[in-house]
Amino acid sequence: MVSEQEVIKLTNEVFIDSFEIEKSKLVPEANIFTDLGLDSLDVVDLVVALQKKFAVTIRDDERIRTIRTLGDLQQFILTIKKEIGK
Amino acid sequence: MRIFKIAFLNLVFYPLFIILTLVAFVNLGSLVLFLVLFLPKRKIFKLIRQAIRWYGAVIIRILPYPLIRLDYKNYGTNDPAGPYLFVCNHRAASDPFLMAVFPYEIVQVVNIWPFRLPALGIIAKIAGYLSVREIPYAEFAARTQKLISQGVSIAAFPEGTRSRNKSVGQFHSAIFRTALETHAAIVPVCITGNENVPPIGSGFLRPGIIKIHRLAAITYEQYKGFTPFKLKNYLRDIIAKEVKIMDRQ
Repeated sequence: MVSEQEVIKLTNEVFIDSFEIEKSKLVPEANIFTDLGLDSLDVVDLVVALQKKFAVTIRDDERIRTIRTLGDLQQFILTIKKEIGK
Repeated sequence: MRIFKIAFLNLVFYPLFIILTLVAFVNLGSLVLFLVLFLPKRKIFKLIRQAIRWYGAVIIRILPYPLIRLDYKNYGTNDPAGPYLFVCNHRAASDPFLMAVFPYEIVQVVNIWPFRLPALGIIAKIAGYLSVREIPYAEFAARTQKLISQGVSIAAFPEGTRSRNKSVGQFHSAIFRTALETHAAIVPVCITGNENVPPIGSGFLRPGIIKIHRLAAITYEQYKGFTPFKLKNYLRDIIAKEVKIMDRQ
């Protein structure tokens, strides 16, 4: 089972590697759209990168639509990983 | 004295703007209906976009002159040949008219509301302008690629909505994905001054100077290997820096 710290670390790596966003901006309360600057098309790239990183399928998950902040995203990944682990 | 200038500007500009728009709308419509019988579709589009450019030039250069002046600087004199992707900051509803300063066949990427304007919205549709929020990205990509292959430049305002302050908002990446797919040169365009003529929330024109700086094109050689996200932020930084300088002047 992947730990919360590991999810945070790996999620941040996706933002750093795929979007070249500075580590200092990657705080849980950062809004993915207004603070980190992603748009709906970038989110598609983000989902692809996250799926690869965590070996999960999330593109059709309706819960993605409610995600606004990096913290929301990390919690969502953690929930998905827990669901898979059950 | 200033109040008289404002009154004069508005009393002259708006009636002429409405008359010119109606005349252009009727004539352009008749012209299209006539030409469609004789000319190929591509040629008709070219003529329509040329007519829009002339119309825009009259609206921005002649009707409000001398109380509203354009200060256009072209720093792209050594640019490679087009077509180009013009990427502009967006502060005022008049920005689309300002594209008339560029001597090319241009299609604009617009939001939903310009398509709903009387007369102007119909002209935009006839000219093949792209309502980016009303079409899926795959269609947007196909249409922009086709336009570039035909030698048509594209103008976009990737902030999507008018900036409410003097900062440059986050960019949407659609036009930058087109750049990466077509390898077209990207031209940063910085516009300042028209946010005050008229100010947001007011319809009253005020005397002023509208500055347009066409910066040197960013060629594919310069941006190849960038992700769409990196490219949009690269262009945003270039535009934001120039706009800051223009605001200080």
